[in-house]
Amino acid sequence: MAEDPQRNFRSVYYEKVGFRGVEEKKSLEILLKDDRLDIEKLCTFSQRFPLPSMYRTLVWKVLLGILPPHHESHAFVMKCRKEQYGDVYRALQVIRFITDSTPQVEVFLRIYQLESGKLPQNPSFPWESEDKIFLVIAKAMEEMVEDNIDCYWLVSSFVNQLNNKYKESLPQLPKLLEQILSLEDSRLLAHLKLCSAMGQLPYNLWFRKCFAGCLPESSLQRVWDKVISGSCKILVFVAVEILLTFKMKLMALNSAEKIEQFLENIPQDNTDAIVSKAIELWHKHCGTPAHSV
Amino acid sequence: MSQQANIGDLLPMLDSPVLAALEDIMAAFRDNLASDRGPMLVNSLVDYYLETSSQQALHILTTLQEPHDKHLLDKINEYMSKPATRLATLSLLGHVIRRQPSWKHKLSQAPVLLSLLKCLKTDTDVVVLTTGVLVLITLLPMIPQSGKQYLHDFFGIFGRLSSWYLKNPGHVAEIYLVHLHASVYALFHRLYGMYPCNFVSFLRSHYSMKENLETFEEVVKPMMGHVRIHPELVTGSKDHELDPRRWKRLETHDVVIECAKISLDPAEASYEDGYCSTSLQACAHLLHRPADPDAIPYVIPHNSLGASTSTPYSASRLALSQIPGQLPQILNFQSSSLSAEPQQAPFWSPSAVCGMTTPPTSPGIVLESSQTSSQPYTKFFSIPDDFVSSSAPSATAAPLKKEEKADSGRPSLSRQQNIINRTLDSQGSKNSVTLSDLPNILGDLEASCEDSGEKDREEDAISNEISEITAADAEPVVPRGGFDSPFYQSSESLSGSRKSHSVASTGPGQLPNAEPLTSFLDQSGLEGTRDTSKQAFTPIDWPCRDAEESPVGPQENWASTDPGIFTPSPCKIPARQRADIRSQQLPGYEHLFEVALPKTAYLFVSRKTEELLRRGKAGPEEDGFVSASPLDVLDKLLERGADAHSRELNKLSLPSRSADWTHFGGSPPSDEIRTLQNQLRLLQNQLLYERFKRQQHAVRNRRLLRKVIRAAALEEHNAAMKDQLRLQEKDVQSLKLSLQKEQAKHCKFQEEYDSMVAQLHSQIRQLQHEREEYYNQSQELKTKLEDCSNVIRDLRSELKKASNKVCHTELLLSQVSQKLSNSESVQQQMEFLNRQLLVLGEVNELYLEQLQNKHADTTKEVEIMQTAFRKELERAKSCLLQQSQQVEASQNRIAELESQLTKKDHLLLEQKKYLEDVKVQARGQLQAVENQYRVQKRITQAFELDILHLYSCLHDDQLQKKQEDDKMETAEMADERLSGANEGAAHSIAKCSEEMLGRNGEANPSGAQGPNSSSSSSSSSKGNSGGSSPEKTLSDRAGQFNSCREASARQEPSSRSRLTVGSFPSSESFLGMKARELFRNKSESQCDEDGVAIHSLCNTLKTELCKGPRLEARGLPGPPEPPPPPRNQESSVESLHIMDYNESHHGHS
Repeated sequence: MAEDPQRNFRSVYYEKVGFRGVEEKKSLEILLKDDRLDIEKLCTFSQRFPLPSMYRTLVWKVLLGILPPHHESHAFVMKCRKEQYGDVYRALQVIRFITDSTPQVEVFLRIYQLESGKLPQNPSFPWESEDKIFLVIAKAMEEMVEDNIDCYWLVSSFVNQLNNKYKESLPQLPKLLEQILSLEDSRLLAHLKLCSAMGQLPYNLWFRKCFAGCLPESSLQRVWDKVISGSCKILVFVAVEILLTFKMKLMALNSAEKIEQFLENIPQDNTDAIVSKAIELWHKHCGTPAHSV
Repeated sequence: MSQQANIGDLLPMLDSPVLAALEDIMAAFRDNLASDRGPMLVNSLVDYYLETSSQQALHILTTLQEPHDKHLLDKINEYMSKPATRLATLSLLGHVIRRQPSWKHKLSQAPVLLSLLKCLKTDTDVVVLTTGVLVLITLLPMIPQSGKQYLHDFFGIFGRLSSWYLKNPGHVAEIYLVHLHASVYALFHRLYGMYPCNFVSFLRSHYSMKENLETFEEVVKPMMGHVRIHPELVTGSKDHELDPRRWKRLETHDVVIECAKISLDPAEASYEDGYCSTSLQACAHLLHRPADPDAIPYVIPHNSLGASTSTPYSASRLALSQIPGQLPQILNFQSSSLSAEPQQAPFWSPSAVCGMTTPPTSPGIVLESSQTSSQPYTKFFSIPDDFVSSSAPSATAAPLKKEEKADSGRPSLSRQQNIINRTLDSQGSKNSVTLSDLPNILGDLEASCEDSGEKDREEDAISNEISEITAADAEPVVPRGGFDSPFYQSSESLSGSRKSHSVASTGPGQLPNAEPLTSFLDQSGLEGTRDTSKQAFTPIDWPCRDAEESPVGPQENWASTDPGIFTPSPCKIPARQRADIRSQQLPGYEHLFEVALPKTAYLFVSRKTEELLRRGKAGPEEDGFVSASPLDVLDKLLERGADAHSRELNKLSLPSRSADWTHFGGSPPSDEIRTLQNQLRLLQNQLLYERFKRQQHAVRNRRLLRKVIRAAALEEHNAAMKDQLRLQEKDVQSLKLSLQKEQAKHCKFQEEYDSMVAQLHSQIRQLQHEREEYYNQSQELKTKLEDCSNVIRDLRSELKKASNKVCHTELLLSQVSQKLSNSESVQQQMEFLNRQLLVLGEVNELYLEQLQNKHADTTKEVEIMQTAFRKELERAKSCLLQQSQQVEASQNRIAELESQLTKKDHLLLEQKKYLEDVKVQARGQLQAVENQYRVQKRITQAFELDILHLYSCLHDDQLQKKQEDDKMETAEMADERLSGANEGAAHSIAKCSEEMLGRNGEANPSGAQGPNSSSSSSSSSKGNSGGSSPEKTLSDRAGQFNSCREASARQEPSSRSRLTVGSFPSSESFLGMKARELFRNKSESQCDEDGVAIHSLCNTLKTELCKGPRLEARGLPGPPEPPPPPRNQESSVESLHIMDYNESHHGHS
């Protein structure tokens, strides 16, 4: 990265001086120019900097393994993906799980179910919790990505990542949340404990759905950048930051139900700031991610 | 108090006739006054005096000291307010003031002054008024600066009293009025003299009123006729004359003289200054020719004196100053200044400026002395003048020189001298007994006239100077010393000096003559002796002149001037009286002046006649005095009174006829006595006042005389200094001469010295030159010496070297001799050896001959061998070369190969990388494809499920209709559908399914056996379904299919049971749920192996089918089985990879 001749040699110092993301796009482009994409570097980059929206989809696809690191095979792989999607879609149409009028999200879900072999016997089967999570995430992703196929692949890969890679760490997150909250604001934690709201916080929304539906997509993208690039702890910090931001209101609320209700429907006006602060907090606590993260 | 009482008792004893007692009492009083400060004694003294008018008491009172003045003044003030004692008090006050006590300055603040003024303003008694005015006049000069606050009181008093004379409100006696008028006249003088501006303005304002006009005309105007214009009127101002600073530097007598200066009244005036002479002259003329108008007499004497600008008086004064031999310096100087003064500074006083003043003579005395005494000097004065002009006078030369300094004074002076000379000469000629001398004198006079009159004064002075210088050079200073010494004596003690003079010059015979003269002059009251005195002078003078001309001059001078100076003290009679008396005698010698000159002879005669005429009617003409001074009037009155009294015929006073008539006509005798008493008192007052004035003059005289003496002393000192100076000058000149001589000598010596020096210098130069030459020679010699020494040194060194060489050579010689001996021995040996050699050579020749004969053939063999060996060596060398080349080539080859090897390694690495890349790429693609494939599988699964579902539906329908009929149809339909569905799927799967189907038939028995034995539990469900054969086959098929698809038939029973479950019409049933769960679990677990299963699908299926019974028999060790193939496959795949990449690959995946 640093030894790349095309990069501005001053870029190293920009951050020291306090400028952020001056050369990010450029460095990302340089990264993406490598024939064999360096997944690790992309991960690091994505953890350190917010991704430019024009490259976000590509980077996500690469990071999630939808696209191979070689540029040459991208076309082929995408073709495969597309075919696969088409096949599944057709099959689902055949077995009448989906129709043309089926919402895209449900289509994604059905395809995912089919692919994972969890397709219910009857399309009229009620959604299970996993399905709901998928739907929410897909809904959010649908907003972010235009292409349906890409979107499907990203959703399915993202959910797979959540289910596979973070299977172990996700249940640990509430504990971590409590720990960090005690560090950041013990009074709030005490209050929440007093209200016995710690157990009833919307963990499902936060950690399972990765804030899909809680934060607007523009903010959510940045959170997901980190999640996709391999760090699920960011979710905890976003949660902590939400708690800190609405501390006054939370302190005013006394019952766990009300707190939960409020947190599930937080106002969406300054979520960007929350996310920025959360990322800062995350960097503060976990250190700025290096290459090895 | 007892003492006081005693003192009080002593008072009556004051007038005791016993002198001793009187002295005791006086001492007692004085002690008491000194010790006691109380007012008691003073009061009692005053009382006593007022009662008795005791002289002793008055004496004590007038000498009172400081602390008692207040009491005295208080007491006086007290009595002053009482009319009864006023007169006595006033006279006491007058006495006290006239003594000028030390506390006189306090009078201005004392209340007594106020009461005095009040008294003067209000009182009507003429005696009191006259007394008071006199006291006031006496007092005024003592308190000049503090009197200003009462200025208007003074003026008021003057106004009141001046009008008194005219109005006479009390109708007092005329005589009193005369006294009063005289005192008012004095007051007028005093006020005008002291405060001219204020007084004039007062007069102006006071007499501008009509009611006072008459008074002015009658009284004040005549008074004004007797005063000059005061200089203060021009230069001063009202404020300035009241300025205390003006008065501060003036003493009482100064003030009095100041006042007297402005008076034209001869009785009142002072003659200190030049202008006084005019007044004097006027007075003289007035006295002489009372009938003449005021203006005329001034001119006449001037004309008569040869149109000289100077007055006779000044001339006489000058003459007087010229006469003495020693004094001329002083007097001349003074006279010159006097003559210059009137033109230059009107208010200038010589006494104030130069400090050298003439003795201020009282008018009468000055007149008398100057005129009378001038008479005698003139007799010999002409001679000193002659002496001066003719015989190189050393005395007058200096005065002349000094006179030059006084510009305007000089000509007049010279002329005056001439005039004086003339007058004196004439006088002398007239007076003189020796008429024979007259022609001589006249000739001298003419000569002097020509000298001083015709010539310029500068020329005169120059000639005088020249003559003086020449005379001084020619004549030694012997006579000078004669002049000097007596003068000093005379300045120390005048009387003594006079005696010494007389002794020194004229001898004892002249002294008795001089003494009587002075005493006679002192008693100048007798007019009758006047002529005799003049007569008496001449015999004295003449001998003097005859005998010794110059020495007698001063002596005579002193004799004559002394009376002028000293008259005031012996004189008891008022000066005015004397002057008055003298004035009658004046014409007696005045005519001598006129007669002296032939020109004026006629004038003189005419005037003489006039005078005679006037004198004849002098008495009746008294009243005709228009501007007669009140003092004159008073004097006249007194004179007449005296005459009357002396006659004792009648008491009628002639001068005041009208008054006399009124007064003496009808008054009773008692009144007459009182009047006389008062008159006496007034006279006394007047007398006292005049005495006071005289005292003031005396004081001033004394001071001025002292100054004169000091000046004379200084002058003499000056002259002595001058003599010394001249002597010193002479010395200086002689010294100069000697100096010149010495200088000439010095010059000569200098020249000689110079020549000597030059000579010596030349010698020195020569010597130096020689010395230099010698020096050079010596230098040369030195250098030569050095050279020689150098040569010697060199020679010595050479000598040393030579000796060294000699030594060396000796040594060498010894060595050589040794060697020689050696060589000799060696030669011997050599000879011996040569001999041996010869012997041996012969022997050798012999042996050589023998040898040649023996070895002739062996050399060929050796040569051949040598060539052979040489060839061999060459061959070996070439071989070596060849080999080394080969080695080099091979080494190069090795290097090349090595580089190729490294290149190839690189290539290999690149290839590997590339391969890796490709592999990864391929894997990615493969994964995608695998994924696709898996999805396809899922799709097919889904389809199958669907199909199965549909089948189950169908089956239910058929079951409801016909179970048996429908069995076959459904089987066929299933076949058809299956095949139809499989058409779109992959071929392998189709094959697989076909094989499975085919195998199902084969494996049916075994399968039937297996399931039956293995899953007995599921049979119950089958039993539920009825356990029909088509159902069984179907379930078998499904089970087969399942196992086939999962590449392991590990759970055939369960799958079968699941299939059976899946075949349930309603998925909501418990079993359906269970079956689905199971199915899902399996599918999930299978996901991992998906990627592996594809390749070895067929094989595994085959092997599975083959092993199937064994697996069944073994139970459940199936699951471990499937993993190995993928591993194997993986390993096979990995075998393609290079080992290095394994780790990264793993890490990546």
